[in-house]
Amino acid sequence: MNQFKFAASHKAVTYGMMGLGVLCLLITFLIDDELHTRFWSNYLHNTVFFTGVAFISLFIMSAFITAWAGWYVTMKRVWEAYALFLIPGLALMLVLIIGLWGGFHHLYHWADAEAVATDKILQHKSAFLNKGWYTFGTLIIMGVWIFFAMKLRQLSLDEDQYGTTEYKYHHKMRIWAAAFLPLGGFTSAALVWQWVMSVDAHWYSTLYAWYTGASWFVSAMALTILTVIFLKFMGYLEAITEEHLHDMGKYLFAFSIFWTYLWFSQYMLIWYANVGEETVYFQTRQREYPVLFYGNLIINFLVPFFVLMRNDTKRKYGTLVFVSAVVLIGHWLDFFQMIKPGVLHTAHEVMAHGHDHAHGEEAHHAFMMGFHFPGLLEIGTMIGFLGLFIYFVFSRLEKASFEPKNDPYLAESLQHHV
Amino acid sequence: MAKANKEVLYGLYDDEEVLLEAVHKAQEEHLEIMDVFTPFPVHGLDHALHLSESRLHIAGFIFGAIGTLTAFLFMTWVFTRDWPIIFGGKPYFSAPAFIPITFELTVLFSAIGMVVSFYTVCGMSPGTVNPTLDDRITDNKFCIAFDTTNADATISDQLRAFFSSTGASEVNVKTI
Repeated sequence: MNQFKFAASHKAVTYGMMGLGVLCLLITFLIDDELHTRFWSNYLHNTVFFTGVAFISLFIMSAFITAWAGWYVTMKRVWEAYALFLIPGLALMLVLIIGLWGGFHHLYHWADAEAVATDKILQHKSAFLNKGWYTFGTLIIMGVWIFFAMKLRQLSLDEDQYGTTEYKYHHKMRIWAAAFLPLGGFTSAALVWQWVMSVDAHWYSTLYAWYTGASWFVSAMALTILTVIFLKFMGYLEAITEEHLHDMGKYLFAFSIFWTYLWFSQYMLIWYANVGEETVYFQTRQREYPVLFYGNLIINFLVPFFVLMRNDTKRKYGTLVFVSAVVLIGHWLDFFQMIKPGVLHTAHEVMAHGHDHAHGEEAHHAFMMGFHFPGLLEIGTMIGFLGLFIYFVFSRLEKASFEPKNDPYLAESLQHHV
Repeated sequence: MAKANKEVLYGLYDDEEVLLEAVHKAQEEHLEIMDVFTPFPVHGLDHALHLSESRLHIAGFIFGAIGTLTAFLFMTWVFTRDWPIIFGGKPYFSAPAFIPITFELTVLFSAIGMVVSFYTVCGMSPGTVNPTLDDRITDNKFCIAFDTTNADATISDQLRAFFSSTGASEVNVKTI
């Protein structure tokens, strides 16, 4: 079957997931501290995670088109649909922007005018870390991404309908895809700095954008494998064989190692140089979030490394689903620990206004559910966002045939053999 | 290693697709193929010949693991027992600093180990002379070879018939 039909029962499941997510967000909001730190940080965490998956799907697709890759075209509709999730992603980001201007949340230390007034570091960074840049950066950059996602999608659909053996649409796609690569690469770094890294407003790392990108890449690949296997079980995507899954497994394996490489590069340079302003980031995580800090390496490196190392585990549904699910949760936890410690710190500083500085520091050490480890509410929120993602992606999949029948590489993809 | 001479009947093909079909046909007719020679890897040939998976990667893993342990344990011994020196105020046992070298030795051990295992298993040592059936099988010809040392005339005829029916461009006999 090439035409996807979003079954009513599946739709109901995604509604249920979204309902659970909203419920969990509401409960979080009600039982939260006076700044609603947990609510807002959960919201930021999931928004960034799923928007990033959408962005990196667009990036992967552009890279493949530019590299004249052929193997993936039987499944390119999945990535096209993923990339379009940038649109709801922007809507989700708008809520954060409104919260920023309205002072509803205190996720970012640099947005706090009082703090900036007495803080030299924040003053120096204020040319980039300010509400205006945050807003227009997000709007313009995500707007550009959405434009490219829709452009590539449109060209791909037009090719289905009007494509000839002159491959006019494919040539156009190649130009747009090549243009997106540098654009997407640089702009995503700027947004990652604004959205995630500036949570630790005093700290910075030049590797951070790469690191986050690798995390998104692995998440996107894991989610793709899960989606493709699900669709195969539903009887779709017969053209995708274990050969294609083998290649996706290799991507999952390779980029898990790449992520580890970046994780270690970032860690080792900071550890080695031992500069207080930089080590504080890892000190906090190692001392106060040890389960997340070490667990991160186990589930995002050791598990995919040892399980996917063999040839045959990349070709079997069981092992692929297992590893994909593990690293998907793993990278969600990775973002969790990128965001939570900084947000908690900022919240303590805001709440300790009027007291002396040291007072805010002390409050850190007690274990807090939802900050030091994700509680049920965090998991429920994640399921809600996942439901939204699946709902959106599947309703986009319905709009086009799985088989891009006029793609020049279709034949190559159909007989792909590794 | 002294080897008894073998009489080999071999056919040369011009195209890998034709070769692949011939291999399938030989399997159907239960002809015992001695070996197949191609100038480049042919997709699906391993599968068609029912070759078992190479165990070289297992050797690679074991050599790699030995490399990991060697590097990590050696550095640990040197820096904590044998010659402890403080570098940059770090503790004697500084795992992060050991990681890059551990990684390098893992790669080195597994690479060298696999090369040596491969050459040993293939019986290739310096000075080995390997007879070739035909020089063109390293260039543009695809070859299926049968061992006909002890074969009687009917089998030889059967094999020749097989070659002509599957589109071999040349059939020769050579004693190696």
